[in-house]
Amino acid sequence: MDQEQPPEIKHKHISSLYFQQPSVRRSILIASWIVILLGVPLWWFTTAIERLPLPSTARLAFWSTDKLEARAGGRDGYTVEVVHGLDHPVVKSRHLSVPVHEAVARLPDLLLPLVYPYAAGYRRGGLEHLVAQYAPRYKLAFTLLNEDAAAGKAITGWDIHRSIQRHISPVLHRVSALHNFTIESQVHFHSPLAFEPVLANFEDGPIYGLTQDDLKVFVNSAEWSLASQVSNDPVLHFIVFVPSPSHTPLRILDNNNNLTTANAFILPQWGGIVVTNQPSDAPASHSFSADDLDGVFATFRKQLLILLGVSELPLEYELADTLISDWQLDTLYRRRATENIASSRETLESIVKLVDQIPNMPVGEDVNGDFQVALAALEDVAFTLYSFAAYHACSDSPELTLQNSARAVTHASRAFFSPGMLALLYFPPEHTYAVYTPLFFPLMGPLVATALREFAAWRKEGKQRPTNAGDEQKVKID
Amino acid sequence: MHIHALIILASLIGINSATPTQEEEYHESLTLRPLRDGKVATHFAFTTLIRGAVPRAPHSLADDDVSQHYTLFPLALGQILREYAITELHLNLNAGQWDYDRWGQPGEPAVGSGAELWVWMGDGAPTSVDARWKGTQNALAGLFCTSLGGMDAQRTTSPTRAFPPAGNLPRLSAPHTHRLRHASLPAESVCTENLTPFLKLLPCPVQAGVAALLNPHRLFDADWHGLGIDVRWIAGKGVELRMTVQAVFDPVRMSSEGKRDWTLRSLFGRVIPRACPVASSSRITVDLPADGGFVLLPDPSEIYPTSVAFNLARGMEELDISMHWSQEVRFSYPLDLTSTPISAISVDRTLKGASQTHGDLALVLRNNLHTPQRVLYLETLPWYIELYLHTLSVECGHSRPYELFGNLTYTPPVPHGSPTLLQAELILPPHERVRVAARFRKSFLRYTEHPPDAQRGWDLPPAVLVPEQGARARVYTRAVLVDLATPDFSMPYNVIIMTCTLAALVFGFVFNMLTRKFVVVYVGEKKEGDARALERVERSPSKEM
Repeated sequence: MDQEQPPEIKHKHISSLYFQQPSVRRSILIASWIVILLGVPLWWFTTAIERLPLPSTARLAFWSTDKLEARAGGRDGYTVEVVHGLDHPVVKSRHLSVPVHEAVARLPDLLLPLVYPYAAGYRRGGLEHLVAQYAPRYKLAFTLLNEDAAAGKAITGWDIHRSIQRHISPVLHRVSALHNFTIESQVHFHSPLAFEPVLANFEDGPIYGLTQDDLKVFVNSAEWSLASQVSNDPVLHFIVFVPSPSHTPLRILDNNNNLTTANAFILPQWGGIVVTNQPSDAPASHSFSADDLDGVFATFRKQLLILLGVSELPLEYELADTLISDWQLDTLYRRRATENIASSRETLESIVKLVDQIPNMPVGEDVNGDFQVALAALEDVAFTLYSFAAYHACSDSPELTLQNSARAVTHASRAFFSPGMLALLYFPPEHTYAVYTPLFFPLMGPLVATALREFAAWRKEGKQRPTNAGDEQKVKID
Repeated sequence: MHIHALIILASLIGINSATPTQEEEYHESLTLRPLRDGKVATHFAFTTLIRGAVPRAPHSLADDDVSQHYTLFPLALGQILREYAITELHLNLNAGQWDYDRWGQPGEPAVGSGAELWVWMGDGAPTSVDARWKGTQNALAGLFCTSLGGMDAQRTTSPTRAFPPAGNLPRLSAPHTHRLRHASLPAESVCTENLTPFLKLLPCPVQAGVAALLNPHRLFDADWHGLGIDVRWIAGKGVELRMTVQAVFDPVRMSSEGKRDWTLRSLFGRVIPRACPVASSSRITVDLPADGGFVLLPDPSEIYPTSVAFNLARGMEELDISMHWSQEVRFSYPLDLTSTPISAISVDRTLKGASQTHGDLALVLRNNLHTPQRVLYLETLPWYIELYLHTLSVECGHSRPYELFGNLTYTPPVPHGSPTLLQAELILPPHERVRVAARFRKSFLRYTEHPPDAQRGWDLPPAVLVPEQGARARVYTRAVLVDLATPDFSMPYNVIIMTCTLAALVFGFVFNMLTRKFVVVYVGEKKEGDARALERVERSPSKEM
């Protein structure tokens, strides 16, 4: 008995050491797990992509275009007067004079082109697709292109100041509530065409023809530098093209390759082009005076009006104002406001959709801010349109609506094109895991194994305690 | 919104730069200079002048600009000048090292290899000069397809002594002055993608006038080539844009018989088909070589003692100029080229030292004239080359005459910020060799500061010497390559994996120690009286990890 005593004592001694107590071991294990569990949110937070919540776009749903068309830009003061002795309708400011014989039968038809020019069933030759997208500032780039000045009959300059003043400035002044404009102009002396015009013989001699397909590729963007690149404002181009003597006369052909009288065409949303053939007895080089350019710039003015979306009056109407009547201008405000609201709504919705679809897309302060501003601007529009007081008291509500809608569209597109949203698009979460796996995987091994072992020991302990409470040693050896 | 459009248009008539009364002029010229070593230096200059125009005043940047109407002046460049209110702009893109000793002074002094941009701008604008400098770089980079955007604060200096304005500076209101910003990218290469937009700025690009000769295939095959844009304002005259192309061709290399004969067609692969209709003057000058014995065809329109000129007139026939040495069977290189330099100063700059921490910078100058010369020496070094100013030494023969050195200004570098700028005056005694040397320390760069091709080394911009008498034409030294300590770029990933593994190992070890269970195991039979020998503490293999 005496000899067996020492190992007994020794053994008791080991298990009763402080650091060998199960409670200490378990608390070490628990502490490690707590650190890990607390660390996970920290790790998650520090590696997360900043995604500020975007406001819900549900309230945009009621901005259906029909409602807007009906409501936008309400204004008092439109008058229609039936006048004796008039043989065609006359528009002056917001006043329409209608001849007696038409008043009864066709009044709705007469009002339609003024009030609702782009409505279904009233499409004047489908000009709507030519209208440039709304921008608060346009750059107008006028370019005089000599196809080949060195070959003779060169146009070495033009009196563009006077021509712009005569023809373009009044238009710009009239629509100054819609857009700001920057004007620039240049002359090129060598601007080859990218294709060879077809040579055809007609009664008045051989001509070079531009087919309808040629017109689509007329602009040789590889060779012609048409506008300066210093700003991001959309550019409306106006080009005078002077064909070289070897391509004179250059004429536009219709779909059946018949000669047309037209010398100008519009490229949708891009600008207008006028082809000016030089007479065969033209001097070797001269410059265009303002009078020479009158025809060209009258065409440019028409093209500019179309590109800006000013509705055209039917031919039978007489316009007593210069250029654009207030009635047309109101229609334009309304049209642009509707367009802006629809487009900003679409943009906002697609931002939300995009952010929902791509979980890696960051949404920063700037995007969120622009989004909020755009939404607020849309709400301002709603306030202007729907509040009864504003509807009646605010006489310049079309302008106000337009300004708010322009604000909405500017901020919405700025949020959409924010470069910050692309920052982390090419860093998928797999990369994060790949980097951290070498750390976490070996760490978790001992932690999990020890936890399992301790759990098993603890359960065994619980089972054995009632039956064999004294024998701790056996449990431990197992 | 605004009613500006009309007001601006109305105000155009009269005071502003772009008035209908302004006149634009375009002059073009080509100078061909046969060189002693059989090469031919060509120098194209296209000058457009807007009479009566003034650079945009900086304070007017707050308002919308007036409409810009140009006829001969390129709109794309004009708008950049207006947008950033640039008074004077100089951009050069060169490839190769101009050999002053063999070729003499170039037609345009700016021949430093790589890209060099310097701009004079007035302050007092709503945006800072540095922001406009950055904008100018980006706009020009976009226009000429170059990577000028790399000219950041780490490369930008203001060496006003070596780069004074080439034209005049308009007077600014009291507290405001004009500022200079200068930067160079010695590693920037020049190629077709820079020439194509360059040519688009010319009124007569490819079909007429001397610009018709600019054939990219031949131009970029030349031994040395460079493009230049210089805009300056000359008081009382207007804004002048000068676009230049220089190239040194080697007809001996291109000829199968080893002759130095050349024609426009053999040099450029093209001839001049017709005159440019809008050029006020258009002339080709051929400098006559001193050694004689050549035949020049066709007959020139003007003859001077050392050169002849051809005027391109409207209605001219196709023009090809040829110069041939009929007596010469084969061109024999003069063997005394290096011993008889034709430049006033010979200069060589080298870096020494193989270590990755220190090195020596040496500049060797030789005055080839009979009179002493005073030159301004400008050295721009990136911050990672830290010059020890106290080691700056001057050697002339066997003496160290420090009195040759004077009027020194030194801007020390700011690490990761701005470069070193050293400007000093040197007196070069006649026919003497002067050696300027200094030690420098190479810094250790951050991982992210290395360029993608870090193993290639770092280009130091050329030093510039400006003779203080005569034409003050700048002389550029060669750009040198410095080798800095370069890390292994897969390192971060290795480090991450390595650190993770180590962290896991340490944790596993410590954790196991902390949670290990020790038990007593009896080995063999229990022996009486010797309890200690039976006792062993051992790890239980079934339980422990």
